Amino acid sequence: MKVLIKQLKQTGLLLCLLFAIHSGFSQSGSDLRINEVLVENDSNYVDDFGQRSAWIEIFNTAYNDVNMAGIYLTNDPTNPTKYWIPKGNPITVIPPRNYLVFFADNKTTRGILHLNFDLETSNYIAIYDANGHTLIDEIRFTNMNPDVSFGRLTDGSDEFGVLDKTTPKAANYTGAVVAAGEEFVKMDKYGFGMAFIAMSVVFAALMLLYLVFKNTRRLYTIDLKKMFTKEKILIDINEIHDISGEVNAAIAMALYLYHSELHDNEETVLTIKKVARNYSPWSSKIYGLNEPPR
Amino acid sequence: MNGSGFLSFVGDHLSEFLSETAFANVTIGHIIMICVGLLFIYLAINKGFEPMLLVPIGFGILVGNIAFMPGMQIGIYESGSVLNFLYFGVIHGVYPPLIFLGIGAMTDFSSLISNPKLMLVGAAAQLGIFGAYALALLLGFSPTEAGAIGIIGGADGPTAIFVTSKLAPELLGAIAISAYSYMALVPVIQPPIMRLLTTRKERLIRMKPARTVSRREKILFPIIGMLFTTFIVPSGLPLLGMLFFGNLLKESGVTKRLADTAKGPLIDIVTILIGLTVGASTQATTFLTAKSLGIFALGAASFAIATFGGVMFVKILNLFLREGNKMNPLIGNAGVSAVPASARVSQVIGLEYDKSNHLLMHAMGPNVAGVIGSAVAAGILLGFLA
Repeated sequence: MKVLIKQLKQTGLLLCLLFAIHSGFSQSGSDLRINEVLVENDSNYVDDFGQRSAWIEIFNTAYNDVNMAGIYLTNDPTNPTKYWIPKGNPITVIPPRNYLVFFADNKTTRGILHLNFDLETSNYIAIYDANGHTLIDEIRFTNMNPDVSFGRLTDGSDEFGVLDKTTPKAANYTGAVVAAGEEFVKMDKYGFGMAFIAMSVVFAALMLLYLVFKNTRRLYTIDLKKMFTKEKILIDINEIHDISGEVNAAIAMALYLYHSELHDNEETVLTIKKVARNYSPWSSKIYGLNEPPR
Repeated sequence: MNGSGFLSFVGDHLSEFLSETAFANVTIGHIIMICVGLLFIYLAINKGFEPMLLVPIGFGILVGNIAFMPGMQIGIYESGSVLNFLYFGVIHGVYPPLIFLGIGAMTDFSSLISNPKLMLVGAAAQLGIFGAYALALLLGFSPTEAGAIGIIGGADGPTAIFVTSKLAPELLGAIAISAYSYMALVPVIQPPIMRLLTTRKERLIRMKPARTVSRREKILFPIIGMLFTTFIVPSGLPLLGMLFFGNLLKESGVTKRLADTAKGPLIDIVTILIGLTVGASTQATTFLTAKSLGIFALGAASFAIATFGGVMFVKILNLFLREGNKMNPLIGNAGVSAVPASARVSQVIGLEYDKSNHLLMHAMGPNVAGVIGSAVAAGILLGFLA
């Protein structure tokens, strides 16, 4: 039992890693974010009817499609189910890392992207899941100048503010985007940092495997039956290790010869096997020419 | 029909036809690349250098360097052409994971499981990747290009293609050709470095024979290996996941048909497609550039650094190991993932100094660890640079 506990201790840390699995985000309505809002639209984005009204941009943070059908939008914290997004329309499907713009014009006859409320009297917007009570996202905004939008400084981030440019159906951040590699090299001009980090990670990954496989065999080769029986058969491990490779090879060869019957003494039993005669129409009596006529 | 009119009609069309032939469009670049393709085929058939790779690539180079009039939808870079469809698997990284599936199904990790210390040698040899990355930065390549060039040091064609397709697709042809060429030249590049870094006494070290590995250990290895490595480097999932999946198919013993398909027809088909299309992607117009030359030079350097890393690591490790447990530094070179070419080099060099010292099975440990290590390294490069 002590051995088992010792082994468990040794591998405990590694096993814990296996169970330290975080519950991942389900890629569903929970991936949606209210990304940008324009309240006073004087000379900004127009809808399909050529009209200007307040609009709300929803961003899909997931890497798969998310269908907004059945989800609720509201501008009233006391009424989460104010606008239900109808089902069965493909325009409610937001592609990965993409956007959908709703018009808060209180004109529902213009299609499902036109909400049954406006933002003139409210400074609150929220999205609720299809069950009508699970809040997905909400934002509160202050009064803004005409044609100036409020939203997340970068798509899906938690930092909000007045945006420099209105960007319906486009990324909120409009500054120069520096590639990850460029950013990395700014701090690591000669690649030493990368070499150090990467080699450490490669070593860590393979070291982990090394530790596991160094201990795994010991762990599962423990004979629990033997451990719980009173009589213990003691085996001198050193004695086993003392057997040289040559002796092992000789034993293996002997066993091989024994099993494949390649020994020196020939069998003394003579076996006469019946040889089956293969049938062929050429040798068949039925088709023979000497068959007497009827 | 008027006779002179007909002759003029025939003449015009013949002239138009001739202007479309490769004879009319060929450039010196095409001729050079065709010679390179022929050299690859010669090396594969006559010298036996990685024929499974060099024959498709060599022939692909010939296919890709037939000069044609643009716009006929036949070139590999012309969307809608057959070759372009086949090339899709390269530029979108479809083929490399499939090849890894086959590699997993044909790899026996026993030598590694029996002596897990060898995994660390496989890690040390990845120094080639990051050494080449640093050199590439020094030569003025962009970070993503440097990452793609560095991966040549992993000595793993599919990994190199996978990483390059994500980081620097424009360099795909040069990097793939460089990786496969140097993999074929492992028996030429590695021995001088191995001899230089080791003493005669070290070369004669005899390693303990590997213990027998149970079936249960072999089954556990791909499962634990996949979970641990991908938990650390999720970006390596396509390669590592497929590698370990293929190995589980082999070791489980109950999916023999699937394992046979993965290591047989599937990997053969994908090898043909990847070899041919990578070869064809070396059109003279896009391939013969100063960058390509730089990539070839850095590729050679990365292999040398990887060999240095592996051999030196074993030497350093020996300082901490007891007499009798020491490792022969000649297996250090096998930490690169050119399986089994680099392990074979260890065996051959080992036998040169002691006819009865067989290092092949010991070298297979770091060799297969190198496959895992290079896939992990690829994941890190993608994680930081993509």
